[in-house]
Amino acid sequence: MKHFGKRVWTGVVAAAGLLAGTAGALSGPSVASLNVCTDQLVMLLAAPGQLKSISNLSRDPTLSPLYEQAKQHPINKGVAEEILLVKPDLVVTGTFSLHNTTSLLRRLNFRVEEFKYSQSVETIAADIRRMGRLLERTGTAEAMASRFEHQLAGLEPLACSRKPVAIAYGVRGVAMGKGTLAHSAIEAAGFTNMAAELGYEGVTAFPLELLVQDPPDLIILPKPTPGAPALADEILAHPVLARLKATVTGGFSSPAALSCGGPFTMDAIQELRALAPLLTPCRKAPGS
Amino acid sequence: MSRPVLISLLTVLGLAGFVLSLLIGPARIGPVDSIEALVAGGNEAAMIIMREIRLPRALLGVLIGFSLGVAGAALQGLLRNPLAEPGIIGISASASLGAVLLFYTGLAGASFLALPAGALIGAAICVLVLLAISAMQASTITLILAGIALGSLAGALTSLVLNLSPNPYASYEIIFWLLGSLKDRTMDHVWLVIPLMIAGWAALWASSRTLDALSLGEEGASGLGANIPRARVLVVCGVALCVGAATAVSGAIGFVGLIVPHLVRPLTNRLPGQLLLPAGLAGAALLTLADIVARTVIPERELNVGVVTALIGAPFFLWLVIRSRKELF
Repeated sequence: MKHFGKRVWTGVVAAAGLLAGTAGALSGPSVASLNVCTDQLVMLLAAPGQLKSISNLSRDPTLSPLYEQAKQHPINKGVAEEILLVKPDLVVTGTFSLHNTTSLLRRLNFRVEEFKYSQSVETIAADIRRMGRLLERTGTAEAMASRFEHQLAGLEPLACSRKPVAIAYGVRGVAMGKGTLAHSAIEAAGFTNMAAELGYEGVTAFPLELLVQDPPDLIILPKPTPGAPALADEILAHPVLARLKATVTGGFSSPAALSCGGPFTMDAIQELRALAPLLTPCRKAPGS
Repeated sequence: MSRPVLISLLTVLGLAGFVLSLLIGPARIGPVDSIEALVAGGNEAAMIIMREIRLPRALLGVLIGFSLGVAGAALQGLLRNPLAEPGIIGISASASLGAVLLFYTGLAGASFLALPAGALIGAAICVLVLLAISAMQASTITLILAGIALGSLAGALTSLVLNLSPNPYASYEIIFWLLGSLKDRTMDHVWLVIPLMIAGWAALWASSRTLDALSLGEEGASGLGANIPRARVLVVCGVALCVGAATAVSGAIGFVGLIVPHLVRPLTNRLPGQLLLPAGLAGAALLTLADIVARTVIPERELNVGVVTALIGAPFFLWLVIRSRKELF
């Protein structure tokens, strides 16, 4: 009897879940995402049952901030056929990726919405609201977007004698210049981005010599991908970096911290701010 | 031109390339300050830039250029083929493939030694296959075509291995392995290649008398008492060591071993063994100068040095092919 009762309960819970699922699907359009950054917003905002599939990159810990959560969802490889099979009401993707797939899907009368590839902390709230409108989840989206805006506006200048200088460096000598999400996160955290200061735009090669000539206070380095060696990681062990005594090197706990904009971008900004007390212009003099 | 004069002239050229390479870089440091920082220390930032960034780059330019020049001259002598060159006949590409296979698949962990070990094995296998083909009385062109096929195959497989790597940055490194670069190398790389290259130079130098004799043809050389099988082994080992070590730290840099023997040969007595040292010195000068061009031709945007050597070398190769229809050597 006890067992029977338990089974009935399981059945009821399952039925309720199913109902909730259908209700969710009824409440808004079903969606498939083809881009790792739209994947993040869809995972955050879609109601249960709304999400048909997200891109395979969403499970890559080096690119996708929500890679753990992505394991619960079906994935696609960005091929039009997969979208035809699941027939979502809405396809979301980035302007930068898969042009051919996008135009093919449009010809097949799918509603395709593109999100801009270039992001900054200022565009995040707008992207969240836009995704909320598309998914008919405006309440959730508004709460998330205004919370982010509130946090961004509440960031106070760092308690330092001058603005500390930081650079996001690595991966075969590339730095994040003006126009990248990393740049805007560094500036929002209260730092000066050395690469942008020197006139570098986008993700560009940055000479190691300049790093030595006028060393920044903080070098943000990526973490090597475990189990998959690449020469990219050699730069992390370049003896020059160890010779810069006044410079602190640090990194984000997640390698994907700044690959896409979202509420998690605030975590990256906070991680940067947490490094500030270690830096030369911000260190408290002993005894004061 | 007499040999001592030629060798001193080429040494001066090589040294000039080395010094110029030291003086050029994005950090603006005057020539006097640069040399002072390099030799005596002083300003700490300048010292780090000179000793840890520019010195390894200039040294590797000289070492790799010398090795590729010598290897090209030795191959042209042994195969009696004016078009033989480590890059064209696929030895550099095979060295890249060997390095990539051992390193990126994680077979050897992330060990620093995986790259040279893989590159040496790849280069040696390719030289052996080419020798087997040339032993079948293949014509000049057959051997070159076989080498080009091997090189294309190795290049394609290199790209494939890098594309399949789970590391997101590996696929960006295809260009490094196919068109090499000397960017941001360290003194560790210099220490790594020096013993391998010295062994390679020694092996090729030991083969030089037999290479001279071989210019009379195999029967003529045997008649003079030359030990041809021994010379083959020496050249295989020497080329594998030189090209393998070079490719392990700089990726595949082509055409250096093709251009310099042809430029220098008219200034020598045309004996292949006598050509080795001048070709090496000219290679050092050419590669350091090409690396300077790669760094300065587009400001703020560095080219891979393999692009520069290919831009000079590929038209030169075409010209040689057209000319070789009329005369060989």
